[in-house]
Order: sequence, then C-alpha cells, then structure tokens
Amino acid sequence: MGIVITVTSGKGGVGKSTTTANLAVGLANLGKKVVAIDFDIGLRNLDMILGLENRIVYDVVDVMEGRCNLAQALINDKKSKSLYFLPASQTKDKDILNKEKVKALIENLKESFDIVMLDSPAGIESGFEHSIFLADRALIVSTPDVSSVRDADRVIGIIDAKSERAKNGQEVEKHIIINRIKPDMVEAGNMLSVEDVLSILALPLIGIVPDDEDIITSTNTGTPIVTKEKSLSAEAYRNIARRILGEEVEFLDIKAKKGFLSTLKGMFK
Amino acid sequence: MSLFESFFGKKKSTADVAKNRLTIMLSHERASCKLPYLDDLRNDLINVIKKYTKVEDVKITSHNNQNLELLEVEVILGK
Repeated sequence: MGIVITVTSGKGGVGKSTTTANLAVGLANLGKKVVAIDFDIGLRNLDMILGLENRIVYDVVDVMEGRCNLAQALINDKKSKSLYFLPASQTKDKDILNKEKVKALIENLKESFDIVMLDSPAGIESGFEHSIFLADRALIVSTPDVSSVRDADRVIGIIDAKSERAKNGQEVEKHIIINRIKPDMVEAGNMLSVEDVLSILALPLIGIVPDDEDIITSTNTGTPIVTKEKSLSAEAYRNIARRILGEEVEFLDIKAKKGFLSTLKGMFK
Repeated sequence: MSLFESFFGKKKSTADVAKNRLTIMLSHERASCKLPYLDDLRNDLINVIKKYTKVEDVKITSHNNQNLELLEVEVILGK
C-alpha cells in the first residue's frame, strides 16, 4: 500500500510544480514506483516541467469520468522508468472534481504505487481541498517572503482541519520546504532566514533549495534539474527525496559566495 | 548587530521587520482560523449575560503564539 504525499503552498508561483517534478523524479531514481498527479485543473503545468507534454492523450478527469481506463491515461517517463504521470485536465470547469471519484482513483493508485504525489493548485479552493483530503503527508513549499509564509501558515491550518486523516483523529505529517533562498540576502539581513521561517511556521524542515537560475533552464527544456550531477539545487532535491524515505541526511550548507566586501564585513564581526 | 554594522550605522534589518510583522499578523489569523465557533460562542455569551445584566456588547479576542492560546472576553456593561 502506497502513501499519498501532497505538495502545496497556498500562494502561487513559489515552485510547487517544480518541487513536485523534481521530487517525483528523485524518488523514482531511488527505486520507488511513483505516480505524480497534476491537480491544477484548467492550468496544467507539471507536464511541461517533466517534459511529457507531447505524450498526453487522456487526463485525470477522463479517468474519473470513465472515458478511458487508468492504464491508458498514465504516462511512463522514459528517463525514469518507475515514474508515471497523470496530467490535469485543461477544462475550464475547475469544480469538475468530485470527492468520491477522487478518492476512488487515489485508493486505486495506492494499490500499485509506492508513492502517489499530488501537485496541488494554488489557492484554497476546491481543487486544493481535493488534493489535501487524502494526504498522508504534506510538503509545504514556501519562499522566504511575507506573503508566501503567511499563506503557508493558512494552508497548514486548513490541512489540519479538512483532511480525512484529521477527521479520523490522525495527523497529516507535515514538513516545510524553503525554496529560492538567497544566502547573500539572508546574510545581509534582507531576507527571512531558514530559522526565521521555521520559527514562524513551527513545523519541521525537510529541505532548503537555493535560488538557482539553472532551474529555469531545466524547466525550459523539460528536464527536471534533480538529475544534474554538479548542482547545489539538484543535490537539495535529491536530499529531500532521501529524507522522505526516512533517511537522515544533513542539510546543505548554503552560503553566500564571498566577495571582497563580505569578506571585509566578516573580519569585523 | 555586528561591529561592522554599528560602524556604518545600519538600521534594523528588513528581515527582522518582516519577521515581526508576520508574527503579529499570524497570531491573529491563526486564532480565527482555529476557532470557527467564535461567533456562536459570542452570541451565546451575550444571551447568558443578558439574563443578569444589561449588556451592551461582548468582545472576544483570541491571541495565539506557539505555546499558548488565549481567549479574552470583554463584557461591556454600559454606564
């Protein structure tokens, strides 16, 4: 029986889909059988980040409405053989998902996959609620800025109130991923630090991903950065994947590149 | 503040400002999100207090930080 991991954030544009893609590939490369599902109905994007957009025939709504069977809709990634992908529907009716049907689909997928990863849409509307309802674990992605942290806090409260686990008196295991941290800004006191964000959100950390232009280029080509050898952000994603599987991995030391001025500052500290 | 910063007269860092603003804002928001029964409670309280006194208003404010949840009930009895 597999587990359901939902990647969510509240605020849009903080890197949910990028995180989902990289962790799905990372987990698959660690030998797990993974299915990534895009829950952002109407605004499908995970397909392009994974580089699988040209292979879509059916989508998640087609499966739930019985227009095709599951095997027809699942797309197998050719690079990571144990990764499958189920795209969001591009329908304009974002309320098309139905709780019972979502549940049936996910229970079905849990039978044959180790990990079911759900990429939640931004916001706190029905699509978001569907994506957290069945979560066993939630990864909350936040960038170190006030709007993202505030929205993350709100989303955490909603997960605690509205998930099936919460209704059964259990807890959804929640972890924070701090995305796009800029170490030089943190050192200058102009960006919330990892410690600041964690003390506000009061949840355990599972990963810190540095701000990295290579993530943009890897999205351009549809090859998640996690497979890249010499890259700090790729290593950050690989480490998160290992931590998800219960391994203890030390957090990366993300430091600012020292220029002349910062070295000078360091001498006076 | 480091020695360097005090030399150059740097003000409180913007990250600290952000942290403080967030902490204050969230302590309010968390409470209202966690206590959906706040409005009902307020109405019930007014009804009970009305039985004994001439109540004008009941204010309920909730405060929350990581370790403590506080519900402050203020009953305004009038003059």
